[in-house]
Amino acid sequence: MTAARQDSDDYDLTQQAGQKAFARHLVQQRRRRALWHGLQIALVWAIMFAVMGIGLSLLNVDFAYVLENTNFVLLGLGFTIGISLASILIASAIALVGALMRLSSNAIAQGLSGFYVSLFRGTPLLIQIYIIYLGLPQIGQQLTALGYPQIGGLFVLTAIQAGILALSLNYGAYMTEIFRAGIQSVAQGQWQAAQALGMKRFQTLRLVILPQAVRIIIPAIGNQFIAMQKDSSLVSIVGIWEVTYRASRFARKDSKFMEMFLLAAAIYWVLTILSEWIQGRLEARMAESEKRS
Amino acid sequence: MRALLKLTVLVWMLMLVAGCAAPVAAPAAPAGDAAPAAGSDAAAPADLLADIQARGVLRISTDPAYPPQSELVADAQRPADTKCSGEERTASELTGFDIDVAAAIAAALGVEPCFVTPDWTLITGGSWAGRWDLSVGSMTITPERMTKLYFAQPYYTTPAAFFVHEANTTLAAPADLSGKKVGACAGCTYEFYLDGSLQIPGETIEFVVTDTEFTGYDTDTSALQDLALGDGVRLDGVLTALPTGAGFIANGNPLKQLGEPVYFEYLAPAIDKASPLDTTSFRAAVDAAVQALHADGTLKQLAEQYYGVDLANAAAAFDIAGLEQ
Repeated sequence: MTAARQDSDDYDLTQQAGQKAFARHLVQQRRRRALWHGLQIALVWAIMFAVMGIGLSLLNVDFAYVLENTNFVLLGLGFTIGISLASILIASAIALVGALMRLSSNAIAQGLSGFYVSLFRGTPLLIQIYIIYLGLPQIGQQLTALGYPQIGGLFVLTAIQAGILALSLNYGAYMTEIFRAGIQSVAQGQWQAAQALGMKRFQTLRLVILPQAVRIIIPAIGNQFIAMQKDSSLVSIVGIWEVTYRASRFARKDSKFMEMFLLAAAIYWVLTILSEWIQGRLEARMAESEKRS
Repeated sequence: MRALLKLTVLVWMLMLVAGCAAPVAAPAAPAGDAAPAAGSDAAAPADLLADIQARGVLRISTDPAYPPQSELVADAQRPADTKCSGEERTASELTGFDIDVAAAIAAALGVEPCFVTPDWTLITGGSWAGRWDLSVGSMTITPERMTKLYFAQPYYTTPAAFFVHEANTTLAAPADLSGKKVGACAGCTYEFYLDGSLQIPGETIEFVVTDTEFTGYDTDTSALQDLALGDGVRLDGVLTALPTGAGFIANGNPLKQLGEPVYFEYLAPAIDKASPLDTTSFRAAVDAAVQALHADGTLKQLAEQYYGVDLANAAAAFDIAGLEQ
């Protein structure tokens, strides 16, 4: 502030031209400061990378081996991204329904949703994957034995289906809370105003509440998606050849554990950075309505 | 409000169903594929062998975490005409002793081998729900596993043998180690042999070494390293798997094998006891296939190729019919 006041001495602010020039000067100054700030951050990153590089060089890692087998591990990226995308979509749908049930005044809906959230947030994802993969088919076989082979057959999930179901149910539980918070963040007055206009409850929800809640929910979903990309590595236990499976099993071949784990870590990191960038764009878009034009 | 609630519950149910039949971005096997094709006549489950031959594919589980039994192939090409689904792996994508044996069994049945790679605990636990037909995973026959799985004719063995220091001249046979300092990995079958409690299905064990001064180690290698320090320095002998001891000697350590192996652990293909289909004829077919591979020398040759020793020999003589299962 003081700097700006001193700078203003160089301009004749009694003239329009001088005012404009000073305005330009202020804009340029702000740009310069932003650029310098950005450069400083970049410098910190560069130093951190250098420190990491020193650490890695002490690890005795065969980088030629890493490069040689990058393609093999990258082939698992399709499963990692595909499973994460499918799961986040299903989880979002579950979370919307779960949140609405949680916020309803009906005891059955509240009970069901509360039980679901408690169960799936209260148990480890790894164990959920085991139980869904191993347990559901046993129920299916009982149903088949009872004479319902069509229903029983539905319970025998392939490895990919079991993985997606487990990830969806687990993340759906956490995201139910996110959706609930998002819906509750819309002021109570909006409900009352919509009611005063003669809107039904469902109409209010669809046309008034959800469009506002979405601004809060979307960035949070992005965050969950980024977390899920890494948690999807847990489905490697049912034998899906995604990034972690390929890296960990290939490591056994030549006992190159550190090489393969570092490679997998790097792949996930790059994937996350890309996702963060997309999330940032999405958030900027969501904030558009908040901007003064 | 009621309408909203009904809709909510309906969508909820739909989600769960959709989750079960989840659309998958990556190529996936149709869900119905694994379901029993029993039809309405649930009393008589269909025959697994007939099912395998009808689909032309034998599904085998393997965990490629254990070279040289099973490991991944870096730049594998999937054959274009394979019948394996997108979730399954062709024989070209894996390599190892188990993989070759599995492929030979599939060839004997006249079908293509396709591999699935679930975690080892999911394989040994049984209840495969028809997702795969057979495990060829160097699985030791144990009483606990026999409660969940049927075992077929073993295709090779892990012989347990005593090793002593090269410099030793007083010990001539395993029995001479009685009362001496003997090491082995703690909690392994070797410890149970030394304390006289070991039981192996289908085998009568003679406990020729008794009353040892036992030391337990975290791994076999630690015990061998202690023995290599010198004759009687910390240990007089070590009981371990013959290939483990032989490998340790091959790495230049001053040890030697003492006499013949004292017992064998049998490694066999396994079949799910809780299979939705009838496994009787399939089990007979796998037994016959492995016996034929013993008879024509294929297994001996493969064992020598992967381990440098004939580990198949004793498995050929195993009396599978005598194993009560």
